Amino acid sequence: MNYVLFLLLGAGVAAAATPPPEAAACQACHGAHGEGMVGGDKPRLAGQSAHYLDKQLQDFASGARDNAIMSAIARSLNNQTRSKLAAYYAALPVPAALAVPTSLEHTTATAAQAGRGHQLAIEGAEGKRVQACNNCHGPEGSGVALSAPALAGQLAAYLAAQLKSFQQGSRKNDAGSLMRSVASQLDEADITAVASYYASIPSSH
Amino acid sequence: MVQQLKEVDVVVIGVGMVGSILAKELAAAGYKVVGLERGNTRFTVPEFQSPGIHDELRFDVRKALMQDNTREPVTFRNTSSQTGLPIRRWESFLPGTGLGGSMVHWNGQTYRFQANDFELATRTRERYGQGFLDPDITIQDWGVTYDELEPHYDRFEYLLGTSGKAGNLKGQIQPGGDPHESPRSREYPTPPQKEHYSGALFRKAANSLGYHPFPQPSSNLSQPYTNPEGLKMNTCVFCGFCERYACEHYAKSTPQTFILPVLLANPNFELRTGCQVQRINLDSTKQRATDVTYIDNAGREFEQPASLVITCLFAINNIRMLLLSGIGKPYDPATGKGVVGRNYAYQTMSTVASFFDEDVIVNPFMASGASGTLINDFAGDNFDHSGLGFIGGAFIGAVNTNGRPIQYHPTPPGTPAWGKGWKNAVVKHYNHTIMFSLHGSSVSQRQNYADLDPTYKDAWSQPLLRITFDFPKNDLKMAEYVTARGVEIGKAMGAKQVAGTPRKAPYTTQQYQTTHNTGGTVMGNDPSTSVVNRYLQSWDVPNVFVIGASAYPQNASWNPTGTLGALTYWVADALKNEYLKNPGRLVSP
Repeated sequence: MNYVLFLLLGAGVAAAATPPPEAAACQACHGAHGEGMVGGDKPRLAGQSAHYLDKQLQDFASGARDNAIMSAIARSLNNQTRSKLAAYYAALPVPAALAVPTSLEHTTATAAQAGRGHQLAIEGAEGKRVQACNNCHGPEGSGVALSAPALAGQLAAYLAAQLKSFQQGSRKNDAGSLMRSVASQLDEADITAVASYYASIPSSH
Repeated sequence: MVQQLKEVDVVVIGVGMVGSILAKELAAAGYKVVGLERGNTRFTVPEFQSPGIHDELRFDVRKALMQDNTREPVTFRNTSSQTGLPIRRWESFLPGTGLGGSMVHWNGQTYRFQANDFELATRTRERYGQGFLDPDITIQDWGVTYDELEPHYDRFEYLLGTSGKAGNLKGQIQPGGDPHESPRSREYPTPPQKEHYSGALFRKAANSLGYHPFPQPSSNLSQPYTNPEGLKMNTCVFCGFCERYACEHYAKSTPQTFILPVLLANPNFELRTGCQVQRINLDSTKQRATDVTYIDNAGREFEQPASLVITCLFAINNIRMLLLSGIGKPYDPATGKGVVGRNYAYQTMSTVASFFDEDVIVNPFMASGASGTLINDFAGDNFDHSGLGFIGGAFIGAVNTNGRPIQYHPTPPGTPAWGKGWKNAVVKHYNHTIMFSLHGSSVSQRQNYADLDPTYKDAWSQPLLRITFDFPKNDLKMAEYVTARGVEIGKAMGAKQVAGTPRKAPYTTQQYQTTHNTGGTVMGNDPSTSVVNRYLQSWDVPNVFVIGASAYPQNASWNPTGTLGALTYWVADALKNEYLKNPGRLVSP
């Protein structure tokens, strides 16, 4: 069933948009349909906001966001191509079938972790002075186009890695240091919990 | 049956900004402190989180964070010849309730008053002569000076992490700041917030007219900040839900962000919520408070004895607490004698709306409560009033605090009040209008006061407070003058149409103006014209201190919170260093 759905949606993608030739560089890690590297930490791009993706490419190119592979790729692209790629991936539907493996990751989280992740997402933690993730990232982490990326259906390993980068200060392209502030208050268990929680939510795109 | 409780060192009535700071100081100094709060406990998580906290109908229209005026309203009339009626729906001003007090729903505009303001009567006489003022005006000096308060202003701003740019550092004028401000000992703890587009246009126009624009000092922080209490706050995200709302981001400085976690962790402090204080009880000499009577949410009555009682309520509730307790002589406007309720004043707010063509895109919804750009060139006594026939002034600023859909829809004069014409005008102007706030001073005068209402009672059968107030002629003239200056700036910005709305009499409680009610328990050096001395200690009952904007003898051109914070630390020092070591009068009458 999932396989059939995947095929149908795959066909839909092909009909909706032909990948720009530069997308070949993306597909190796982020998948043929921008689904991300399931089981790894290369994020899903499909359905993410164009503004966010464009800004990340600019930040990789300028060095504001640090990643050796991405910086090299982003630097090889001009502004126009970055925007074109961002728009392409933003317009891609998230293949519903791919929500299954990500939600499987959730099963590795304990019930307590799932509860903690849900709590951090919708309510925050007063003891740690951490506000709800959804305040900025929207209901169920669906994203707010010009200000905060979608988290729903993102790969848990990627989310956890980013929270750790913000925590360690190696990622610092967040407006007003907001993510660095939040991540600095979280511990390892919180990060696992909240990353698993968002990975388990099917993207609403 | 009244339950007698065990005596403590200090009872703090009202656990808002003042109560939580003072309680923290005294508990840390080793005193047993009980805080009595009529409202509920509430914290950033979970009470202030999205999406619930952005409910405009609940918070903006229905005033969910405010004092419950089905149980405890205030009555109002314009003049003594009228009959006061209860305000059943808050509009003009919005007193809060609950842990953290009114500061939970404030805008974060964190000003200092100027040196001149604290000696207003003396300096006005000196500069403009004896006969300059209307004889009904009862302005007076505060009994404390700016220089005395400066270290306390500084401490308060560093507690909050206020974002701003100094204009006068130890007498040296600083580019980019307000050159009119009185000297400050150091820079703001954090740099100014980002300037809104409306502020940038205002800045350019104000500069072209030779004025001195500067960024509004904001306690919605421009960057992460850890305060001297060790509490970390976040950067404001310009969500546009400041005033009337609580902040979900730990970005607006409120007791919840800057002091309560430290206070509540101190075993010397006990918080009791749901406690409606009825009165402060006195002994037979009427010169000593023995205990406080309160009723809890279950209707049980308690007496809490204490050596020291500090009333830290919202300004108008401080007045009422003293009147209900028989502390100080009530003011009589017929004779001008008596002090409690005297010199009630407010704030004289005017507006200027500048309407632009559709190529000027303002994005009004993207705002913090205090990210404006403004000038002080027409505030206080920063300009010559000779021949103008009034004292005081206003800051003029593009202070864009929100663009919320239910309540924000500027339209030019002549627009129909409803229907298709109105809807079209809202669509046309929403994103292309810049609103100025003209935040005017308020003189005290003998006809304006507060007393206990002879008819109406609260849910506990206690008389309500009655406010008798209308705008003094002085302030109406001031409003006309500063509004004309605002209109000139709007025109210099290149607006297609500029509409100035100077504040007019009569004062109405049915239109929002500000929650800057002042006076009624005025501080000073003369017991015949003040309720409390310069340390905010009752002249009549020296183990009662009364702290709030109710202490202001008149109101200045700026939001009152910064000055109240400074007074709070000023009193904290007097209590710790003097009073508690040797209880008694800190000033001889």
